[in-house]
Amino acid sequence: MAKAKARKLKLEAQDGEGEFTPRIDVEIAGIHFQNPVMTASGTFGYGQEFAHLIDLNRLGAIIVKGISADPLPGNPAPRIYETEAGMLNAIGLQNVGACTFLEEKLPFLRTLKARCIVNVFGYSTEDYVRCIEILNAGEGIDAYELNISCPNTRCGGIVYGSDPKLTEEVVAASKRAARFPLIVKLSPNVTDIGVFARAAEAAGADALSLVNTFVGMAIDIETRRPRISNLTAGLSGPAIKPVALRLVYQATQAVRIPVIGIGGITSAEDALEYLIAGAQAIQVGTANFYSPDTSLRVIDGIRDYCLRHRLHLAQLIGSLKHGVNGAGEH
Amino acid sequence: MYDEMAQVVENRPLAGRHFLLSLYSPKQARAVRPGQFAMIRLPGRSDVILRRPMSIYDVRSRDLKGGYGLERHGQRPAVLQVLYKVVGRGTRLMAELTPGDRLAVLAPLGHGFFPEEYLAQARDASEVLLVAGGIGIAALLMPARDLARQKIPQRLFFGGRSRHDLVGLSDFKPLVEAITLATEDGSRGYRGYVTAPLAQYLEQRCERRFLILACGPMAMLQVTAGLAERYNHPCLVSMENRMGCALGVCLGCSIRVQGEGHAAYERVCTEGPVFWSNHIVWDP
Repeated sequence: MAKAKARKLKLEAQDGEGEFTPRIDVEIAGIHFQNPVMTASGTFGYGQEFAHLIDLNRLGAIIVKGISADPLPGNPAPRIYETEAGMLNAIGLQNVGACTFLEEKLPFLRTLKARCIVNVFGYSTEDYVRCIEILNAGEGIDAYELNISCPNTRCGGIVYGSDPKLTEEVVAASKRAARFPLIVKLSPNVTDIGVFARAAEAAGADALSLVNTFVGMAIDIETRRPRISNLTAGLSGPAIKPVALRLVYQATQAVRIPVIGIGGITSAEDALEYLIAGAQAIQVGTANFYSPDTSLRVIDGIRDYCLRHRLHLAQLIGSLKHGVNGAGEH
Repeated sequence: MYDEMAQVVENRPLAGRHFLLSLYSPKQARAVRPGQFAMIRLPGRSDVILRRPMSIYDVRSRDLKGGYGLERHGQRPAVLQVLYKVVGRGTRLMAELTPGDRLAVLAPLGHGFFPEEYLAQARDASEVLLVAGGIGIAALLMPARDLARQKIPQRLFFGGRSRHDLVGLSDFKPLVEAITLATEDGSRGYRGYVTAPLAQYLEQRCERRFLILACGPMAMLQVTAGLAERYNHPCLVSMENRMGCALGVCLGCSIRVQGEGHAAYERVCTEGPVFWSNHIVWDP
């Protein structure tokens, strides 16, 4: 914290009149990111799928689809359903498994300027550790994101994310095993996010990311059957943004480690809200599905905003003022 | 595959709440192969966010004259055509489109009717049977043109709820030897499902070898696949499913196929939308 404050002061001192080039790079868990924009796990495959659509080298980081020690087939169809300003999904963490990831997916990711963060999933603490132990051999992995918040698998996932004791257990074991920094992805489906944020921090997490999806449901009234085979599913997209923003803000108030904000970001304005609330970086998720250039637009928009306000990103993060417009300073 | 903003040239209403949407997008139109699809999004809306998967019905020149294959006459395709039926929120909004409106279009997508493989099978067959249910007809015009150009005889079996669902017949007439129609309400052709006349046709010609191309509702495809298996004919099905991205990353469109573990599911958007019918697990 003191270090961050010193950096902030130094940056402020540099800003004289004339040419101003905002710095939008950020350091989290000892890793340097060229900008604070990342693509959320499960919405960006293994990166390569987007290579012909956008310039991947411009991204802050790519967070790959959740990887487990062994490959997983996923849930039966239907797995997704669009809702008002959002979508439900219950994919069931279909993935190629840690070994195939290292052999077939990582070599491409390694060639990029964007950081590579691997989302890790397991059904038991031993599973998480085993997956990390396999991935530790991967050259070019910058960090792990521990998925203890998937709402669509019967055991593991959210079970760990909704019991603070289990959160501590799986984070501590994973941290011990991990060769790379550990980001813990939290579930929003809890009563008090602060309890879980602190549990992860106490167990050694280097950073937090939140939120994963909200547990939701949809029913076809003609057939009176669920829209998703898994019955319940995770809600994402613009619909969740205000709730996710509140949770991210509360998490930043609860811990000293960096927090990465996720939830319904489709524009630079959305991202800036998270950054002002205290997130050190953000992830673009569902928008990747229908507008693959969203992350790049967010990066450009953040830079433009910083330029317009003559602020470096570090000065913007957590700069939320008290009082509302009109009631105090603007 | 290109991600483009395409301008609406025409959004022509047809019978039974069907529309034929023509989009000016030369780069995409030139790249289309039979059986591929497009993802269409209404830009600027935050309530309806996902793109919608739609079969590419046809490609035409800028003035909408001539169909797929028009490059033979010195014209190059410039317009993508999508045949859709208003069924929900997304298609209801699409029905309001007028010329000049712009849409976000990702196309062409998917494997389509694997060109070499299916043409080889088609040449071996005495006849190709096109089997369509409702809006599934949209996936079959381009392969029908392909086959007609190769002088491969074909026959269309087309079913719908009522006669209003039997759209596009005039486009198929010059391409196929015969058309058999069926409607659930009996308003045209056989009363009942289209798979009934199909079963009869196959039953009476056990000694012949057909190639079946089918697109339509899941139940129709499943029965068609069953008939193909019973009479031992190769059968390609164009599958429909909800899709999040069509880029292969959301895994929302995965369906159960023959295979174990991780190989038990394949993506309609990437490995499909066309599959050999015996590759699919119809009762997962």
